[in-house]
Formats: sequence, C-alpha cells, structure tokens
Amino acid sequence: MVLHKYLLIMKTHHEKLSVFLDLSVVLTAFSAYQLHGTGQLEAYYTTIVDIIGDQTMSEILVAFNTAKTEASSDQKQLEQQIRIHLLSNDKLGPITRNIIKMWFIGSWYQLPNIWREAYGKSEKDQTFVVSSIAYTEGLLWPTIDSHPPGAKAPGYGTWANPPKISEV
Amino acid sequence: MHLHPIKTVEDLQFYVATAIQLEHATIPPYLTAMYSIHPGTNKDAYDVMRVVAIEEMLHLTLAANLMNAIGGTPDLTQKGFVPSYPTYLPNGETDFEVGLGKFSLETIDTFLNIERPPLPTNSKKNNATSNLGLLKTQRTKKMLIPTFKSAEGDELHFYSIGEFYKAIGEGITKLTEELGEKNVFVGDPDKQITPEYYYSGGGEIIPIHNKKSALAAIRLISEQGEGHEGGIFDYEGELSHYYRFQQIKLGKYYHKGDEPNDPSGESMPIDWDAVYPIQSNPRIEDFENVLELKKAAIDFNLFYKNFLKQLTNSFNGKPDQLISAVGGMFRIKEMSYQLMRNPINEKEKTTGAPTFEIDLV
Amino acid sequence: MRHKNRIVDHKTAFAKNYDVVIVGSGISGSIIAKELSKKGYDILILEAGPGKDLTLSGYEKYLNNFYSAVSKDNNAPYKRNPNAPMPRSVDVKKLESGKPNTDSYLVQNGPFISDFTYSRVVGGTTMHFESKTPRMLPEDFNILTRYGRGLDWPLKYEELMPYYRKAEFEMGVSGDVSSQTFSNEKAYEDGYVFPMQEMPPSYLDQCVAKKVNGTKINIAGEIRSLKIRTFPQGRNGIPNEDYKKFNNGELFRPVGAVSQHQAEEGERCQGNNNCTPICPVQAKYDARKTLAQALESGCVDILTRTVASRVVIDPVTQKVSAIVCKSYKDLDSKEYTSETITAKLFVLAANAVENARLMLASGLNSSSDLMGRNLMDHPYLLTWGLLPEIAGTTRGTICTSGISDIRNGDFRTEQAAFAVDIHNDGWGWATGSPTTNLEDIVDNKNKFGKDLRNELVHQISKQLLLANMVEMMPDPCNRITVNPKYVDQLGNPRPIVTMQIPEYTMKGIAYARQMSRQIFQRLGAEDYSVYGTDDYGYVKYKGEGYAIRGGNHLAGTHIMGTDATNSVVDAKQKSWDHSNLYLVGAGSMPTIGTSNTTLTLAALCFKSVDAILEDLKHLHSSKQISNQL
Repeated sequence: MVLHKYLLIMKTHHEKLSVFLDLSVVLTAFSAYQLHGTGQLEAYYTTIVDIIGDQTMSEILVAFNTAKTEASSDQKQLEQQIRIHLLSNDKLGPITRNIIKMWFIGSWYQLPNIWREAYGKSEKDQTFVVSSIAYTEGLLWPTIDSHPPGAKAPGYGTWANPPKISEV
Repeated sequence: MHLHPIKTVEDLQFYVATAIQLEHATIPPYLTAMYSIHPGTNKDAYDVMRVVAIEEMLHLTLAANLMNAIGGTPDLTQKGFVPSYPTYLPNGETDFEVGLGKFSLETIDTFLNIERPPLPTNSKKNNATSNLGLLKTQRTKKMLIPTFKSAEGDELHFYSIGEFYKAIGEGITKLTEELGEKNVFVGDPDKQITPEYYYSGGGEIIPIHNKKSALAAIRLISEQGEGHEGGIFDYEGELSHYYRFQQIKLGKYYHKGDEPNDPSGESMPIDWDAVYPIQSNPRIEDFENVLELKKAAIDFNLFYKNFLKQLTNSFNGKPDQLISAVGGMFRIKEMSYQLMRNPINEKEKTTGAPTFEIDLV
Repeated sequence: MRHKNRIVDHKTAFAKNYDVVIVGSGISGSIIAKELSKKGYDILILEAGPGKDLTLSGYEKYLNNFYSAVSKDNNAPYKRNPNAPMPRSVDVKKLESGKPNTDSYLVQNGPFISDFTYSRVVGGTTMHFESKTPRMLPEDFNILTRYGRGLDWPLKYEELMPYYRKAEFEMGVSGDVSSQTFSNEKAYEDGYVFPMQEMPPSYLDQCVAKKVNGTKINIAGEIRSLKIRTFPQGRNGIPNEDYKKFNNGELFRPVGAVSQHQAEEGERCQGNNNCTPICPVQAKYDARKTLAQALESGCVDILTRTVASRVVIDPVTQKVSAIVCKSYKDLDSKEYTSETITAKLFVLAANAVENARLMLASGLNSSSDLMGRNLMDHPYLLTWGLLPEIAGTTRGTICTSGISDIRNGDFRTEQAAFAVDIHNDGWGWATGSPTTNLEDIVDNKNKFGKDLRNELVHQISKQLLLANMVEMMPDPCNRITVNPKYVDQLGNPRPIVTMQIPEYTMKGIAYARQMSRQIFQRLGAEDYSVYGTDDYGYVKYKGEGYAIRGGNHLAGTHIMGTDATNSVVDAKQKSWDHSNLYLVGAGSMPTIGTSNTTLTLAALCFKSVDAILEDLKHLHSSKQISNQL
C-alpha cells in the first residue's frame, strides 16, 4: 500500500531522478551541485535501472523517502534510517552500496551471488566501467585532493605541494 | 581619445597593451565553446579549438614579451581588462560582436570573424579608406578602446587583427629608425618569457630584445591567426586559425595544397547536439535562484582573477610563475564543466557557465 | 612531433628493395631507423601490432580503452590481438606442480612464475614503460672481475658514455646529475647536466625524506647512510639552461605528442600519475617520438600487422637471406598471407623475449647455444605501509624519488644490489588500491557519506609503497625456448619461460624486506606488507615468504661477449654467426645491474648504428663492384 502511494507521487522520470539525486547526496556527502557537476547523474540512473529494472529502482527511492520521513530532518537520524531501510535490507543494500561505489569510481559491480540467486540474474549485471567519462568523473579523486590516474592532471610540479584535504 | 598612427614609444605601448587585451579577449569565448562540448564527443572540433586557444596563450605571452621589451608593464589585472561579453574586439572591429556561447554554428561564425584574414587587396580599394586596413565605423558605446579618426573626421577601425598588428610592426620600424633600436628596446631582458617557461605545440616563444625579434613575434602572431600572404597556411606550414575554424564549419579537413574555402581532406564529424545547453553571455545575477551555482560562478571568477594576477606576475620578473599559472588552467576547465552541467532552473533546459565578470569580484 | 604517414601496404613493401629490414618499431628499432635514415638508406620496419597509433586520435583510443577497462594493467590500452598476442599480468596464475601454465601467450615452466609483460604495438613497450632512465654504473660493466658475480661486458663504461648522452637526448631526460653519485668512478663528463631539470620531488617524497634521510643501515658489514634522491626520467620538464653546451649552444627542445594532424600537443608533464600504462598527454617519452622523426625523413616505411615468423639463412654464406613474415588482415580475423622480405642487412629489435623466440623458431640456437638463455629481469619486492600523516599519495608522476645508495658496494660479492622506488601512486601495484580501499570501506567497513570520505583519505592519502628493484645475474638455465606444441593463432611458436630466482637475488630481496622494516620504523608507519602463499609469485627463502613481481626489464637472451663461444652477439650487437644480422636491445646485455634497461639499450643501439653504417658502406661498395662487373 505504502509503495503504491509513493509510486503515484513520483511518476515522472524527472521526479525520480531528483529523488535519486537526493539519495546520492546523503550516500556520498557531496552536494547536489557537485553531483550534477560530474555530468553523470542521468547516466548512472539509467545504467542502474537498466540492470535492476524500474520497479526495484522505485523501491529504493521509496525506501529513501520513507527513511527521510521517519528521520524528520535530523541528519543523524537520517543516517540511521538509511541503514534500516536501505543498507541493511537484503535486497536493496547491495544495490545501495553499488550506487555509492558508482559515484566514487564510475563502475558497476556485479551483485553478490546470493542476491543474484534470490532476485534474478540480469545479463547486464557484470562488473564494468560505466563509461570512460564516468571513470574520469569518480568522486574518489576529489575526496583525496587528487585526480583519476590518466586524466585531469593538476599541472607540472603541483605534486610537490601538500594536498588540500580537510575532514568533512 | 582616438587611436592615431604610432608616433612615440608611448603610442606603441598603448597599442601593445591593446594587443595583450585583444589576445586575452578571445580566450574566454574559445574556452566556453570548447568546454560546452560533452567530453569524449566532437574530438576533432575540440582539438581544433584547443590548438587555437593554446596559440592565443602563446600570442598573449608574445605580446607581453613585446611590452616588456619596449619598457612597458604588462598588466592583466586592471579594471576593464576582461571585457564584458558580448563585446566588440579591443582592436576596434565593430561589425560583429564576440560573446560567450556554446559550441554551435553561430559561435564558429563569430570565431571566423575574429580570425578573418585581411580583405583581398582589390576589395580593399572599394571599402578600406587607407592602406592600414581601416574601415569606416559607426561609433558605439560598447567599444573597448577608441577608434581611429581620419583627417576628414571619419571614425575608422581595423578590419582584421592582422591589420592591427601590421600597424604595430610599422610603428616599431618607424620608431627604431627615428630613435635608434636601443632607445626603443629599453626593457629588462630578465622579464622575457623564454622557452624554459613556455612551450607547447603552438609554436615557440620568442624572447624579444630588438626590432628583428619583435617583428618575428608579430609575424608569428598574425600568420598563425590569418595565414601567410592570403594563403591558408602560415610561413611554418601550419594551417591558420581562420581556416582551422572553417574546417569545423565545413566539416572537412584541409590538406596541403588546398585552395581557400575548398578543403579536400577527410571529413570531420560534428555532433552539434552533444553540447551542454549553457546560457549565452551569462551573468552572476542569472544564477540568483540557484545558490550553489551562484557561489561556484563567483568562485570561478575569483580563480580566474587570480590566474590573471599570476600571469601578470610572471610577465613582471617572475617567469617561473607562468608554469603554475598555466597549470591552473586545468582547474578552469574543471570548474567550467561543473558550471555547465548544473541546471539554472528546474524547468528551463539551460545550464550555467563561467561569466568572466572579473571586475565584480 | 609531426610526421609523414609512411604506413605502406604489402604490395609496395614487397616490391621495393630495402637496404635494411628492422623487426619491431620499439625504441631499438626506431633509433636505428632514424639514424640510418639520416644517411639516406631505405628502411622497412616490420611491426606486429595494428599500427593505428601514429595519430592523436589513435592514441586517444588507447586512452579511452584504458579509462573504460575494468583491469587497468600495463596492456589495458590495447585490444587483445590473437595474431600478435602479448603477455598480460591479468593472465598469470599460480603454477600447478608438474605441468607448465599454457593458458595464455607466455607458456610458463616455472619454478618461478613471473608476471612480466611487454607490448606488441607501434612504439613497443615504451608505450607503457615508466620512463625511469638511470644509467648503469661503471662498476656494473666488470662485475665478474670486481665482485666475482655475473659476467663482464665486452666493452667499458667509458666507451658507452657518449652513447648514453645520445640516448638521454633522444629520450629527453629530466634529472639532476649531481644526485647520481653512487659510483666510485667517473660516470659523467665534468659539468654534464641532463637536457631538462629534475622533476620536482613529490610531497610524499618530502615526507619520507624528512625522517629517512640519514638512516644508517648495515649491509653485509658495510654501513651506509640513506638519502632520498630523484630519479632521472624521460619526461618533458623544464629545459636546463646549462645543457646548451652539450647541445651546440641550443636550449633543449622537448618533443611533443606524435601526430599526423593539425592538433598538435607539446606538453610538459602535468602529473597525470599514469606514466604506466599510458601518459595521456605524451609528455613521457615513447618510441613513437623517435619513429615519427624516422618516418619524416621519407626513407623509412613501416609495414604493420606483420609478424616476422622465420629468419632464413643462406647455407653457403651463413648470411640472412630473408625474413618470412605473416601479415594478418585484422585483429579479429584469422586470415593472413605469408611473404618473404629480403634486404642487405637485418636488425631484430623485437625485445629480449621476441628476438630469441623468432631465432629459436627459425632453428637458430646460435653456435654457442646461448640463444634464449641467460634470461634476466629485475624481480621486484613490494613493501607497503601507512604513514602517520597525510602525504598526498596518488599525485605526481608514478615515481619521482627513491633510494639508490644500495645500488653499489662491496656487498655485491655476497648479495644483490637494489634500488628503491617511492611509488607516488600508492599501494596500487601491491593491493589494487585505491579501488580495493573503496570496496573495503563500503562493503566491509559499512561506511557511507562523510565517514566514507574521511576513511578514504585515511586509507589512501597516507599510503607509502616501496618498490625494491633487485639485481639479477645471468644464468644459462633461465631461458626462453620454443616448442611446436605451443603456437599462437598465426602458427608462430609462443615463448616458453623457464625461470628461477637465484639465491644471490633472494639474499638481496630478504635484505630489502628488512630495510623496509627499518624505514617504516623511522617513519612511524604501519607495515601492511603481506605475501600470501597463494600468490603466483610466492617464493620462500630462509623461512620467510615473498611475493615477487616481474620488472619487465627483460634481458640477456642474445647475450654479448668476446667471442662466438661465450655469446650470441659482439659488443656491436652483431651476430657472431650471421654477418648481416644484428640482434639489438636488452637481449644483448650481459648484466643489468640496478638500472631500468631502456636507457642503456638505447645507448647500445646508438653505438650499433656506427657499426651498421660501416657494414652498409661495404655492402654498397661491393654491390657497386658487382654491378660494374
């Protein structure tokens, strides 16, 4: 019943994408501006839907909305609710962790065997780099004030200076 | 104040300051168009623009070397140095505007105008009023620097960048004849940017110490832009900017031996749709409703302002700073991409872009 | 570097009379082609690879292949090519006792299983080499006399010095000569500097140097003090003003990207941290830069997709009369044609493994029976730890500095010398970091959001990996062989590797492990080095186990010496058995000391050019005489 309600609310692609963006902000601790700035939002969303299907993606987005509702704008609570509704969920957890990894390194990881046994083996569920651009847009690199090996180099001699890294 | 033919070293310095401003003024439009292309697509067109942008950096550096050679002070930090786009070019060309826009046919047309070769001599007879390559002009408020004024009181402007440099070259020749070379080239040779500090595929930097090296630098700048004696190649056999850009418009590469406007090389695939839908000539105030975007756009301008300051330092006795300044251009690219991928508002399809409103920060 | 398109088709190539046929377009072949072309000789280069890489867009395809590859190993930029396969580290697996590994291109007999690789594409292995360019030491050239180990060279260091300079010019070396002080003999001319200034040491180097410089170590009774120094490397930096006097008064001009088009690039190193496997801006030297100059001369043609398959010997003169080659249609096709190419003089420049493979496949074991023997490489022992402070790991070139104080000394009578690299790219080589860190933090440490980001910094930005590159001496039992049982798609025999790590080297490896422990102690670093028994490169020595990696510095397989009984080639790299055949590259080197082999093999090739030119002069005059008759 709950599921049905939320699906009605998020009917357009645009709306779903926007919830996916909000979820990604919480999972990565990068801002919406920074996530948009990778240019990969749409590519990641469609890649995931392509593998797990629209229905399962909707479940994730609904679970996130539930977590948000229950956390009622308390950040610590939200993190706990994400663990409850997404990360510790046997179906949604592995996908959620894949979403995190995708943002950070641009790759999809094949889901664990136990997941594939339980929820179906999509042929597209292979470990792969989403695209060459996705590789270069990984958030891992700005996290450590660096750049993906082979791209976006910071210029001659810059490596001699200390990195600009601070706790977030 | 009006431009007038170069009579004194001060006149020459004024022209060269304009040249520095002119060379720089083309860079933001080129960068904007380049970075609006989805990475990984339009590789050929991107590379063509990239080479031109790199050569503009070389021209900028050469103009700074010339300024230093004649005892002036290159300054890229003064108010108004970066034009407010859209603008007319600082050399006085007024029949077209240069703006910040995405990679498109229209933008390439503007670039062709920027780099256009001088009018052929026969048509010059009809249109140009003097052998300096000047055209009659309608005075507008947006012009960055004054136009020429003829004896008859007509407003005149240079038809092409090449004509403008030709005037500088003639000024140098005239002044060295009148004052002696040593009295024109009075600058501190240590301020010259030498090949240790600047090299790229865009040709070699020329340290300027005398008339000969000054004229060589001017020749390199105008021929890289517009070709050699009406041909499509410069004297080093490199395709000139105008014809490089024309390849994008015509979707075809030039080959050695080709006649102007008729490239015979392989085709250059262009995908005009693989482009971020950036807002043309954006302003900070356009981002009022998107706070993060606005902040990032301001950050960009601050970064760019600092970039110009670093360039100015490197042109004023700290040549080693040029390496880190050029290194900073990687950040400019990254910051541009981020701006261009962020929607301005949810409903409209347009995205942000660097505003280059340097005087506002 | 702009160049002409000189890729020729088969019809053209086989119709033309070439003076010289060179097998392989790597650094050896390219240097020889370029130098001979200056004298106007007609040269054909046979290249096994597909040859789409002499354009910027071809090169960018490599880069994109690398970006989108799940495994980013040394040969990740190149599509698999069954017609000219190459070894890939991802194909290596542990040896099962009693039978060789035969699944991938290299057949491995063991007992040591190496993951060494090389590339069979235009430019050869310089396409993925790191481009570190230390010279060998004067002492390395008579190590047998001096320390009773290895073999003496048939030439002295002094003889090679002018050619080292040529090689440093060709490769565009950045470095600091004044820090290259680990020989007791004169290694450089007075006042000599490298073409470009040293690459600035990384912040990681500086963090290590602060605490490690001055560390005293005891190496077989000798007390040494350690110092972090930069390595010379073939990479575009800042031209050195003082080099002018070694360059006809001219400032060194760095060579930019290889291109047939208007989109020229000529970058300085930007710090892409990706020298291996592919420098995206071509600031790193690769042999295509030399090849492009050779092609520009107009005398050099290159025939791609063509694998040299057999060397044919004239039974009367014992000269090489031809090379049989197989030209395949494309990567995905089994179709090929077999043709025979003739020339006055032949140069095999296909690398130490492939040169030997080709000769052995032609039944040419050499009268000394040393063809394919004395296979050497630099075994690497990796040690890795986590520094107490953020050191900015993953920035800079792959390696800017290291420790070279243990490259030379009397201890070499007892144990192998070695050199240590500080890897700016962190633990990647050992653990697959940083990808594996991310996987661990998300999947096992259950972190997301800010905690994830902080943990990434903690786990990655403090990484220190020391790569200990250990000396390995020639041993005739370590070898390349062929067997008709093992062939590739074109029917060419695949190389069979038999290798074991000699005790001399194992002593050095054990010592290197110990020294790393001391260094990590000084640094207050947590030592994370572990070597699993299931690792394919696992070797046990005196109760401790080590996972040893290949160094890709393959050498020795057509060793040079003083006569036809103790070697395959002479000091000019000319075959003792076949007077119009040169076998060039690291395969000729009798020892490799603790130097990455490329600079030295480049110097040897410059030296061979003098001999080849001399030979060609004679061949030409004899031809003229026969024409007159």
